[in-house]
Amino acid sequence: MLAYIGRRISIALLILFGSTYLTYQLAAYSGDPLAGIRESQDPKKEQIMAELTKFYQLDVPPPARYFLWLQKALGFATGTPDFGTSAIMRLPVIDQIAEAIPVTIRLVTAATILAIVLGITFGVLSAIRQYSRLDYSLTFLSFLLYSLPIFWVAVMLKEYMAIQFNLFLVDPKINLVANGITSALLAVVLAGFVSGTRRRVLITLVSSFAIFMSLFYVLSLTNWFRTPGLGIWGVAFLGLATSVGLTHVFAGLHNRKALYAGIASVAVGVAVYQPFGTIVNETGNFGILMLMGALMLSVSYFVGYFFSKIDKGPIIRSSMLSAFFVALFTVADRAMQAWPEYYRLSDGKPVQVDGSYNIAMKSNDFWVNNLDIVTHLILPTTALTLISFAGYLRYSRASVLEVLGMDYIRTARAKGVPEREVILRHALRNSMIPLTTLIAFDIAGIVGGAIITERVFSWKGMGSLANDAIVSQDLNLLMGTFSITAFLAVMATLAADLIYTALDPRIRIRK
Amino acid sequence: MKNNLMKGLALVSASVLGVTGISLAPANASASNKTVIVQESNALSGLNTAVNGKNLLTNSNVLSPTGSGFYYYNNKAQLVRNTAFGTYKITQNSCTATATAPKATLDAQFGCFKVTYTIKKGLKYSDGTLITAQDLLLSHAISSSDYSIKAGLGDPASDDGSKFDSAGYGGAYDDHTRAGSFDLSDDNFSVTVSYDAFMPDWAIFGPGPGAVHALVGLAKGKKVLGTTRVNASYKSLFEDAYFGAMATLPASTDPDYADELEARNDARKLMTAMAGKWSTAWNITTVDSTTNPLLLVANGPFMLESCTSSACTLKKNPYASLSGSPKVTGNLEKLIFKFTSGTLDDTAVAQAIKAGTVDMYSGAATSAFWSIASTAPGVTTNKGVVLTYEHLDLRSGDSIFPMGSPASPYTITIGGETINCDAPYNGPFKGNTQRAKDLRKAYMLVVPRQTIANTYVGKVFDPSFTGTSPTLDSLLSVTSEGDYAKVVAGSSAYVADFKKDQATRVAMALALVKKYYPSAAAGSNSITVRHLTSSRPMRVDNAGVITTEAAKAGIKVEHSVRSRWSAELDCNYFDSAEFAWVKTSLSQTGSNANYESDGSNNSAGWNDPTLDSLFSQFEKEQTATSLITTKINAEKQLWSNYYSLPMFQWPGAAAWNSDIKNVLPNPLAPEVTWNPWALSY
Repeated sequence: MLAYIGRRISIALLILFGSTYLTYQLAAYSGDPLAGIRESQDPKKEQIMAELTKFYQLDVPPPARYFLWLQKALGFATGTPDFGTSAIMRLPVIDQIAEAIPVTIRLVTAATILAIVLGITFGVLSAIRQYSRLDYSLTFLSFLLYSLPIFWVAVMLKEYMAIQFNLFLVDPKINLVANGITSALLAVVLAGFVSGTRRRVLITLVSSFAIFMSLFYVLSLTNWFRTPGLGIWGVAFLGLATSVGLTHVFAGLHNRKALYAGIASVAVGVAVYQPFGTIVNETGNFGILMLMGALMLSVSYFVGYFFSKIDKGPIIRSSMLSAFFVALFTVADRAMQAWPEYYRLSDGKPVQVDGSYNIAMKSNDFWVNNLDIVTHLILPTTALTLISFAGYLRYSRASVLEVLGMDYIRTARAKGVPEREVILRHALRNSMIPLTTLIAFDIAGIVGGAIITERVFSWKGMGSLANDAIVSQDLNLLMGTFSITAFLAVMATLAADLIYTALDPRIRIRK
Repeated sequence: MKNNLMKGLALVSASVLGVTGISLAPANASASNKTVIVQESNALSGLNTAVNGKNLLTNSNVLSPTGSGFYYYNNKAQLVRNTAFGTYKITQNSCTATATAPKATLDAQFGCFKVTYTIKKGLKYSDGTLITAQDLLLSHAISSSDYSIKAGLGDPASDDGSKFDSAGYGGAYDDHTRAGSFDLSDDNFSVTVSYDAFMPDWAIFGPGPGAVHALVGLAKGKKVLGTTRVNASYKSLFEDAYFGAMATLPASTDPDYADELEARNDARKLMTAMAGKWSTAWNITTVDSTTNPLLLVANGPFMLESCTSSACTLKKNPYASLSGSPKVTGNLEKLIFKFTSGTLDDTAVAQAIKAGTVDMYSGAATSAFWSIASTAPGVTTNKGVVLTYEHLDLRSGDSIFPMGSPASPYTITIGGETINCDAPYNGPFKGNTQRAKDLRKAYMLVVPRQTIANTYVGKVFDPSFTGTSPTLDSLLSVTSEGDYAKVVAGSSAYVADFKKDQATRVAMALALVKKYYPSAAAGSNSITVRHLTSSRPMRVDNAGVITTEAAKAGIKVEHSVRSRWSAELDCNYFDSAEFAWVKTSLSQTGSNANYESDGSNNSAGWNDPTLDSLFSQFEKEQTATSLITTKINAEKQLWSNYYSLPMFQWPGAAAWNSDIKNVLPNPLAPEVTWNPWALSY
């Protein structure tokens, strides 16, 4: 195993050397960093050109210049790796990267996780209902989303989810026609998930239409969009609904223990609703939230444990998932209470189209500041998720379908394993193995950034850093961002291979 | 196709909106907060723009509202004397030789040209310290190589450079001043600057104030603002060190020698410490409450409050009315400069303006930007120009800047053929014979200037544009300059041929080619022109239309797109090149480097004694009228020898929140914030 890792790492180093060398040469020969200044009529042009030539070491041919760079980057001379200074900003490359990585991680992590969770969920759904209405709709949707260019999606999202939505918030009243159209659309989507007789679908369609319509009517009447909130009853209702739904999927409603455990966790969550509010109102910070979340989860673990006698797994799972969601709704409810204040401070422009935070807003309120971060994240995250979600959906659908055709699935069914168990235990777990590589790559790719998304949403992450470096022929900066991204990509392949062997006992590393 | 699709989608979305009853109200309804957010491209890279490598446009734009000086450029590109800060005038003007005379002649007449700058009494920095002429001395220390050498700070031209890591060394000011060029008046409110020749652009060489008390404080390791008394003593310390560091010592046998040497060493020690701080202390990109307040001392209507990689916030300077800024009439509380990454996305900026998260932006115009910004409710837009113009240069001889050396000539490969760029030029345009001129004229005639201008100016603002956009008809003035119309009127007879319609010009071109190649006809390829461009789509497209039109006149154009095009402007292989000139200032001698036979921008081998003598006139004192005459004469010579064809000036666009008053977009930087004192809600 160690020998294998050692061999893989030495190959990775060779790949890194080759790719950095090639990138350096391609970048160095692709343009002239002095082109901009050559077009200038600056009276001190000659001095500037001389200074830049010295700075870029343009008197050294690129193949040799690469080794000068490599020598510094590996820290041969000084002992500490030095990626040099960027040409445009004249700041240490490593500082710029250190500043960009957290921004990028904030932007891409949420989108990647969402895309993975949603993609796999809908992929599995699509596969187990192969050739159903739902499958066709999801297939159509995934191809549609996959083919959308992100810069166009971004423009549309900014126009309709930010500019027009902010205008709507000026007087958030939904008229009957708009309500009807929106509710009908949502009802059709919901009915799409329902399988069975035409009658059942029709009932779902009509009833959900009625529910949505009255919901929007009430929201509009109570000015909910300007003063949102769930309240203790809202949290309780949503918590219960989620708990029942999750139990239905993961344990089955016939498993009464699981159902009760879930409901009990929701009850615990509702019980701490008021104390939670008091605590976070005094000291709102991430530490407290994390602590309380952990507390809630451990309590729910014991609740599940208490309810179960045999087959603890599904019961504890149901209890903890319920607790997680009820906690999520409680936090969301608290955040919503800060909305009117955030709305005022953001000058009536709560959903922002650019940047990672509101530069003109000053607030000491934990919730207001986080609402600001969230409202800046919404558009780019939606754009990124919409597009990468499609890939996961297709991959997981194909993978699940392949596994469902396997002999051991037929065996499981033949020996009387309930269909839920067949899907969740036998099919789903095995079908996730091929997705490991994809997920490992995407997670490594997080740090590489999303060049186009970062640019159109004016986020200053790794992607825009790389873009700036390319545009301005800033080799030190380019090599800095590239080296880190390349290193992570190479490590991700290695990690994926190692995870593979852990997940699939049939795969063994050859000595 | 794509456009139609977009239109279709927009229509569908619009109708959905109509149905859902969401109304379109003005976006920027609220203007209560008195904050203006200006969009910049790059992020801030440092607070001292005079340090080498830190002279980014963003840095100077952000810092411009924090300073005032003797002059500024208004939105008509006129130099305006800022009498709120002080006055300046020529106090001696008796030079006989011009600035281009030999060094010894200039040395002999040093002091024949003097300008005196007087600061208005009672002006104060943001920390309450009086602004005096001592604050002007620093600008000489960071711009005069002679001073740097004589004060023991090092030769800026050497490898070690000066202790002041300044981008100010070199250039005309440095060449024509000496270490002792600055004389301080007894009352400390005036300096007189001595030159060794008449300086045509003397007005823009004026010294700017630098808060030297803050610099001394930094050199002494202070981290808080000093008291008025301490600051006054720091100013004297600086003054003493400034003059003491370049003191000439008596002979070593002199009894005072040891004392004077010690005094000079002390002065140099302080100057060196200050130079160190000057070169590094301001190279910060984060400003917050922990930043040393000495770094933030300002004398403009605004001062820095905070900076991050996303934005810099400027607040009102408590001493704004005494800062030397023109009378503050605006009511802004905060001025925020918002940074995107280096490459600005035009659609994103336009949407940000529409969404109200950006209040002001100015830059090169693109149709994506214009189509969104010009239709956004509550947004005012302005069609303008930037100081960049597209033109075509025609080679007449060898570049005076060989690309390689005789031992290793610079070679390029085109179409599998290895070409020595330094080989003497032997193309159709060589020399100034009638034949060369005729062929150059023929080639210039076929260029469809009008069509190109329509595409890259008119259609930027309106894709269905069918009118005629202005072409640029002068090589010396751009349209933003006040004298453009007069210069063009004066040389119009020489430009007339190039303003005829395309068919006429092609026919004229063919006739000219026929003079030397009687068999020339459309497609005859009688002469070959090797044309160089970058890969910029506009230039590639233009090369295409030029090739088509040239073929009709019997001229074959061989077009090369080169990644190193800018260096290869010096390659003698190419007969013509299309690129842009970017004006960074509007000075009397600004075009000399382009057209003089030894000019540093003359890559096309133009060598014309008549032109040289005409351009030498720009080195002399000119009145507004005589300057126009000189320009017209130079234009005539340029146009009648067919060296260069100006095409069009790049369009610019500005957009701002309509609630902000007194926004007057300026083609010169800082484009929309040049008058921060007047911006108001």
